[in-house]
Amino acid sequence: MITRRQTLGGIATLAALAGSGVRTTSAAGGEMVFCSWGGTTQEGQAKAWIEPFMAETGAKVLQDGPVDYGKLVAQVESGNVQWDVCDVEQDFSVFAGEKGLLEPLDWNVINKADLDPRFVNDYAVGSFYYAFILAYNKDSLGSAAPATWADMFDLKAFPGKRGYYKWAGPGVYEIPLLADGVAPDKLYPLDVDRALAKLDTIKSEIIFWGSGAASQQSLHSGETPLGMFWSSRIHFLTQDGANIGVGWDQNVTAADMLVIPKGSKNKDLAMKFLALASSAKGQADMAKLLAYNPTNTKSMAMLDAETRKYLPSEHSAQTVPLDVKYWAANRDELGKRWYDWQAK
Amino acid sequence: MALLAPAVLVLLVFFVVPVCMLLIRSVTEPAQGLGNYAELLQSSSYRIIFANTFIVSALVTVVSLLLGFPLAWLLAILPRTWSLLLFGIVILSMWTNLLARTFAWLVLLQTTGVINRTLVGIGLIERPLPLVNNLVGVTIGMTYIMLPFIVMPLHATMTSLDPLVFRAASLCGATRWQVFRRIFLPACMPGIMAGALMVFVMSLGYYITPALLGGTANMMVGELIAQLIQSLLNWGLGGAAAFLLLIVTLALYALQLRLFDPLKQITGAR
Repeated sequence: MITRRQTLGGIATLAALAGSGVRTTSAAGGEMVFCSWGGTTQEGQAKAWIEPFMAETGAKVLQDGPVDYGKLVAQVESGNVQWDVCDVEQDFSVFAGEKGLLEPLDWNVINKADLDPRFVNDYAVGSFYYAFILAYNKDSLGSAAPATWADMFDLKAFPGKRGYYKWAGPGVYEIPLLADGVAPDKLYPLDVDRALAKLDTIKSEIIFWGSGAASQQSLHSGETPLGMFWSSRIHFLTQDGANIGVGWDQNVTAADMLVIPKGSKNKDLAMKFLALASSAKGQADMAKLLAYNPTNTKSMAMLDAETRKYLPSEHSAQTVPLDVKYWAANRDELGKRWYDWQAK
Repeated sequence: MALLAPAVLVLLVFFVVPVCMLLIRSVTEPAQGLGNYAELLQSSSYRIIFANTFIVSALVTVVSLLLGFPLAWLLAILPRTWSLLLFGIVILSMWTNLLARTFAWLVLLQTTGVINRTLVGIGLIERPLPLVNNLVGVTIGMTYIMLPFIVMPLHATMTSLDPLVFRAASLCGATRWQVFRRIFLPACMPGIMAGALMVFVMSLGYYITPALLGGTANMMVGELIAQLIQSLLNWGLGGAAAFLLLIVTLALYALQLRLFDPLKQITGAR
């Protein structure tokens, strides 16, 4: 549930994919299961990767979702792996790789040379990446234009509710620390107490969003006139004619990765799938559909100016790099503290 | 008894065995012993979540009853055509996707939503009421979803009552209020109890609606368990939370049976 992130919006979509876990007679080119978060993200992945992959290889790709780390671990532990390729958050990919839950990738099949080194590790290639940016509803705020994370914490100058990401993940502690004046190169190890103290100053005004769809709705309706949002979703809001202002100052990027759970019965096919998904074209097609940033450096040239406007790599000078390894190493503690604080 | 065998077998394989496996994990991971249970009972935030779960469930049960009772009664006394039509409306909501219904409430209730805009527009209130991302929102959303589950048993009970009994009471000089208090309400008790129990127990495991319509301060155990297992991969603690919820639910059920045996009511006092 609802899991995480886009999942809430994805449950309905996934009803359409129900039964996808059922093995039918296998296709000539073999068969594999792709698991993602549902919603628009998975629809995009199906269009950009699954359809061309099936046409190219004659293999059959079944879909499942939403991703659930608990299920993934249970599958690997029991040796009954249902998911051959899985879309996971970057910190989880590092964590799971170190824990031996993932298959090491074959760089003879996947072309590593063109991939953005920030979004590759021995067990995962980038699925896409996006940034958390400050965004606000111009219709609600009138002439007030927040520009920095510090502005989001300024209730006097910018009254109103704030949209904030609900799940524990890279960015949720960093943003309040940046707002509190911590220098980007001094973020780690994270001072969780300080971050939560800063968040406490606006806690009564926070409305947490757990899925992209919910975040779009609450910003567009003015329910949360400002807050932290996914860059890709802001692109679509402006496409829909919403009057949204953005601040890229100190944007923080987060990525999803593609992994192969350890013990996948269709490892070779999965490896080929990863090769296509991480290729320049695969990544560009995904970006065109969803305004996510490609993780292949050769993809940007294939995109038009309008799509590129909301891609983090166009604003990389203002990006604060996050330490995903730190998150992977301290996942339990950071998650526990976060949910503990939320429930209080 | 032989007829029960298949059902019992299904329950055993698909419910009892997994629950036992979860129980075992809760006392073996990450270490042997009752550490997970101690953590759940000692941590103030977990205690708050458990308390929330029972408070919200009780609230939803009471509100469902208050709304469901007159509705069921109306369904029972209206002419057939009207009653079928109304019943259709009640049932229809059950055929709509749960997520869609929950999102619809979000759109209705938020400060920029339909209800608040209307009330502010006609000058009834000056500033929008906080109707969502809090206990109010959760209660409204869950009650709406639970209403059919309370109306059906109540309706079944009410339609099985013999109107002659009430007439006899009136003839003996009972006022309307007395007929209601002393004849009708006691006769409806089995339906009230069955419906209330169903709503309460179903509410305990609720997850999506509180997550969407409540704030993080209204978190319920269902969401906590999902979080512990899905994102924190803490099967031990998640299992312990699930088992604790199960135990408390069974205890409440047993208590209800002791205080009030619905079967006894139907078959008559022994």
